[in-house]
Amino acid sequence: MTLFQRIRSVIIGLVMLIFAFLIVIDPKEGYQTVAALLSLSLIFSGFKTLWYYFTLARHMIGGLAVLIRAVIMLDLGFFTISLQHLPRVYLLLYLLLIYAFTGVVDILNGLEARRMEAPNWKFKTFSGIIIVSLALVTLFFVRSLTVLVVVYGIGLIYSALVRIISAFR
Amino acid sequence: MDLVTVKVGKMQIDFHYYATYAAAIIAGYSHEESMEICYSAQFVDVCSRTLLSKLKAPGNAATTQLQLELADARTDIIGLQDITRIWSSFHFLPYDLHAKRDKHCRRTYLDKYRLICNSNGPLVADTVNLAKNNSLQAVGIAMHVLADTWAHKYFAGTPSLVINNVNYYFYEWVVDGDNSLRRKVVTRHNPTAADDIVRGIYTASMSSNDENSIMNLGHGRAGHLPDYSFIRYEYMPAWGDYNNIIKDNPSDYWHAFCQMVYALRYLRGEYDTFELDTYDFDVVSRWEDEIKAILIKRQLDSSEDWKQFGEALSGSSISDFDENTWQKQYMNAAKADKDATFLGKFFKAAIVQKSMVSNRIFESGNSLAGVSVNFKNNGLSFVRNRIGRAR
Repeated sequence: MTLFQRIRSVIIGLVMLIFAFLIVIDPKEGYQTVAALLSLSLIFSGFKTLWYYFTLARHMIGGLAVLIRAVIMLDLGFFTISLQHLPRVYLLLYLLLIYAFTGVVDILNGLEARRMEAPNWKFKTFSGIIIVSLALVTLFFVRSLTVLVVVYGIGLIYSALVRIISAFR
Repeated sequence: MDLVTVKVGKMQIDFHYYATYAAAIIAGYSHEESMEICYSAQFVDVCSRTLLSKLKAPGNAATTQLQLELADARTDIIGLQDITRIWSSFHFLPYDLHAKRDKHCRRTYLDKYRLICNSNGPLVADTVNLAKNNSLQAVGIAMHVLADTWAHKYFAGTPSLVINNVNYYFYEWVVDGDNSLRRKVVTRHNPTAADDIVRGIYTASMSSNDENSIMNLGHGRAGHLPDYSFIRYEYMPAWGDYNNIIKDNPSDYWHAFCQMVYALRYLRGEYDTFELDTYDFDVVSRWEDEIKAILIKRQLDSSEDWKQFGEALSGSSISDFDENTWQKQYMNAAKADKDATFLGKFFKAAIVQKSMVSNRIFESGNSLAGVSVNFKNNGLSFVRNRIGRAR
């Protein structure tokens, strides 16, 4: 990890921590801020990836995957915005789904790292399992919005800490 | 990323040191001269900023970057330009700085595409001519650069996913008796594991979707395969419009050796001009069987074979490469005398080579190697100060 990537990781981790605390402190309104931030970051990443595709990746073998990635990110970003008008529980379930998905990606990356004999596979797999487990546990509290939001907030804090620790490893 | 291997790619000591020695002897250089040439050729893979800092030598004379330096290298615009200056000047000499693609191709892509390395480009002639009437250290550097244009062809000396990526279509052609078998190349990312040429498992850099990741520098994604003289491999370069390439290293290394002999004879004054795509096949033909036997032998390091061949040629003993050999001489020399030491001459030749290549890239309208000045117009000290300040 380069110095710039480390700094970026720490900043993203700190922002995640701030929002996690916001959610925990004010469960009723905090989650909407998180959803808004998520949709904005997805839309921004989507456009950035789209630009990368049209300027560079369209000439690359397998470059179409970059275009698909960009479209999916944009789609998810706009979809997240549209969920703001639905009952809170749907938005929270959606956030949880996205959160669980990042855990699954971590596990898959960890397993791939193990197959490639990269030494960091344990760390990746473990953090992925924790994220998925947290998301699953949260499902049991789906009737209590406050508990749901707090557990989600704890999950965010965990992810933020993992990101910050990774930057210093 | 801290735990992954950063494999950028360097032709190995067997060719840069021992084979270069043999080429120099065949070209007519004495044993002592050949030792200086091959030492300089190999020192290109050693001369990092870390070493230069230890020697209190100019940082812009760096000809390589250590794995740890790369792992910590910034990939912002300044960092990328620094990486590109080093790797394009010494290890991935661009073939055609004015190469064209379809009319809709954007400049951002073209700049990267034009840095793809290949043999017999105009910059090879510029590199060899730069060493003409220059120190033996300059000759050694030129031989390193020339040899790498054969080993590292089709990869670029700048971090780029869209140019340097290698995907699942990656095979090795293995000779089995009279047959050739195509075997899938298995890559792994364990930095401590040696390549397994029996089972075809090779260490390569990890896949990274980040366009400018260090993982995508040079032939990192293809591991050390380009550095093995025995290997024939088939793959689809990321820039190649889905056309597969069969890289025939034994043939390429044979051409590299014969072109080195030709270039060295030109540098000794046996030819008036250096022509591209010209090889001293006739001169080397006497040893063709021996050389080709070394080139096709499946082994990770053919130093011992090249050493024996070189010693048989000259009748003298070739000492093993030791990067410390000339360091004391440089460090103990007075400031005014440093440029006259072995390493002082090497550093000067390295700065001139880097300046020449960076300047050619810059003058082609490509900013990937940064802003550059022509040392011929401005003087070496100006280049030295200017680049030195930038770092």
